Amino acid sequence: MLREEWRLHSHLFGGPRFAAFPLVVAVLTGIGTWLLSVTGTPPASVAGGLVGLVGFFGLQVGTIGLVGRDALRDVLGDVTLLVFSARTLPLSWQRLLATFLLKDVCYYAGLVLTPVVLGYGVVAVASGVTPGSVALLWLSAIGTFAFGASLSLALVALAGRRRLAALGALVAGTATVVSGVVDPVAYTPYALYAEGTLSGAVRGLVPTAVLAALGVALFEPGDDDSSGRHRATERLFTSVSDPLARRSLLSVARSSGSVWKVAFSMGVLFAVTALLLGQVTAGTGTAPHPGIAFGTLLGLGAFTTYSWVTQFDSPREYLRFPVTYATVFAGTMRAYLVLSLVAGIGYLAVAALWFPVGRLAVGALVLPGVAVYVFGVSAYLTGLAPNELLFDTALFAVFGAALAALAVPLLVAALVVSVAPQPVVGGAVTLSIGAGVVGWLLARRAGPRWERRLRTA
Amino acid sequence: MAAIETTGLTRRFGDVTALSNLSLTVEEGALFGLLGPNGSGKTTTIELLTGQREPTSGTARVVGRDPVTDPMGVTAAIGILPEREDPPSFLTPREYLSFVAEVRDVSDPDQRIEAWADRLEFAGILDALSTGLSEGERQRVMLAAAFLHDPDLVFIDEPLVNLDPIMQERVKRRLADYCARGNTLFLSTHYVDVAAELCTHVGIVDDGRLVAECDPRGMSEDELLEYFVAEVGDESAEVRT
Repeated sequence: MLREEWRLHSHLFGGPRFAAFPLVVAVLTGIGTWLLSVTGTPPASVAGGLVGLVGFFGLQVGTIGLVGRDALRDVLGDVTLLVFSARTLPLSWQRLLATFLLKDVCYYAGLVLTPVVLGYGVVAVASGVTPGSVALLWLSAIGTFAFGASLSLALVALAGRRRLAALGALVAGTATVVSGVVDPVAYTPYALYAEGTLSGAVRGLVPTAVLAALGVALFEPGDDDSSGRHRATERLFTSVSDPLARRSLLSVARSSGSVWKVAFSMGVLFAVTALLLGQVTAGTGTAPHPGIAFGTLLGLGAFTTYSWVTQFDSPREYLRFPVTYATVFAGTMRAYLVLSLVAGIGYLAVAALWFPVGRLAVGALVLPGVAVYVFGVSAYLTGLAPNELLFDTALFAVFGAALAALAVPLLVAALVVSVAPQPVVGGAVTLSIGAGVVGWLLARRAGPRWERRLRTA
Repeated sequence: MAAIETTGLTRRFGDVTALSNLSLTVEEGALFGLLGPNGSGKTTTIELLTGQREPTSGTARVVGRDPVTDPMGVTAAIGILPEREDPPSFLTPREYLSFVAEVRDVSDPDQRIEAWADRLEFAGILDALSTGLSEGERQRVMLAAAFLHDPDLVFIDEPLVNLDPIMQERVKRRLADYCARGNTLFLSTHYVDVAAELCTHVGIVDDGRLVAECDPRGMSEDELLEYFVAEVGDESAEVRT
């Protein structure tokens, strides 16, 4: 499976250039760590944020249950993975899935997590952090990735058997976190880094093992139950007048995970942002602006929505119709905005339970601009195949730099808002609106660019 | 009048020449078959003629338009059925054909969709998601999509793939009727029997070059096979049983 994963990625994402991917990840993390240290953020808070992001990444990777065989075929063509061998070989689903999960942890530990910790470690050690602490962070990051992957697998497995049970587990988990009765972070592998004790390690790692065992035991592969989703969602999207937007929306709504995968991926980001806000407040003693932070990070997270709305497009297909790619991208953008803005605004509304509405209203102004910018950058750089191109090392670096060019000043604004509240908030809103204009222009140019590329390829 | 006319059409992919110096004329009303082994340049030819790719050199006119300078005009006027293309998994055939009708600006989409569903016998699955359809059912939907706007010229890459024998016969009749009404068909196939039975003209391509042209109507299937083998070698010949 490890060999298969490597060949799949290197085949899809730029051949030998893919080998440079870990280096780019390390460099970007190092730059990010350094920039945050310039703003006064302590290394421990940066480490906390990194572990949070790693957990988010694990949650995304663990959604194998949402990416069934049909979905893989739609994205990659005729691809068969070893994990789907249970029908033809005398291997149980449980054994295959457990191996798949272990393989993912090993693979991403080598390809992403180790470079992330190395990138952080170089800057952190230079500023006085001990190498032992960096080593603990490395173990903690791998454990947190496994925690995220196991949690989403367990939730998907539970939802596959009893949807209400999964919903109940989510509500109960959220209520426990919100109530403050227990410190949820103490039961994640982050405890290994934060406490550095054997008891902390055991308490932090046991839930991960339990979730992994539950996910593997409960997961039931099955053909997509598309008829149910069909009935539930057709009334919502079949009335959309733009045929291109309608096609994207219906495909997202009827594919595995339906529109809930958009809500799920942005929900994870929402939770990570909320945790980060708490960490930064605890670490620096100053409260970041929640509206700017949520608006920025939810807008950046809309990239996953871009990948959902383009997932079922075959880039060359539209060349056979009398329709320009400018029209195609315009329709895709409508679908993208419907899904990402509804989810984003919904989470801002949820955030109003903890934060002042007036401050979150700023997020409602920041979010659309950032989301349009993310769409423009994604469309211009990756066309209709974001999943295939983003792991191309050179492209990934450009994409990361383009997002950082907007994200860094906005997040710095969120952090330093107490210095001069009105000018900072005004500047952040103005910047996001300007970014939206840039994104819109990039989206307009993406059509002719990709049409030309496809015809001359 | 020529429906398709090419002069010195050439396409290279890096160091590989997929199509070399193709000069070809297909008259209106012809059922032209481009016959050749796998990898001989058939699909590339269709992609160049339909404006999906630009040639490295050479020129083409399709329904009086240049596919390089006016690809939208060409795609609006023709129908295309590629070899490997399914309707989108999570749309129903009705929704996909409605989508095709809308982007092609067809005036009476519902009636046309029903009519084609009746002709190709998929009315019963018009409202089922495409992901649950068989390969043959998907191919019938794609055939309907190519003809939905009643174009004067249709390009089909391997027309009978995945169809059962009864449906193959019905599709063959439909294609012959379509050309009998003065329309033009450009088929690409590596099956000699399909070319022998359907086509009014055949071009044989091998290794990116047009090596021969003939009128197969006076030839039996075996004679066309012998002719084909003489041009490209017996390892490339394929006749379905």
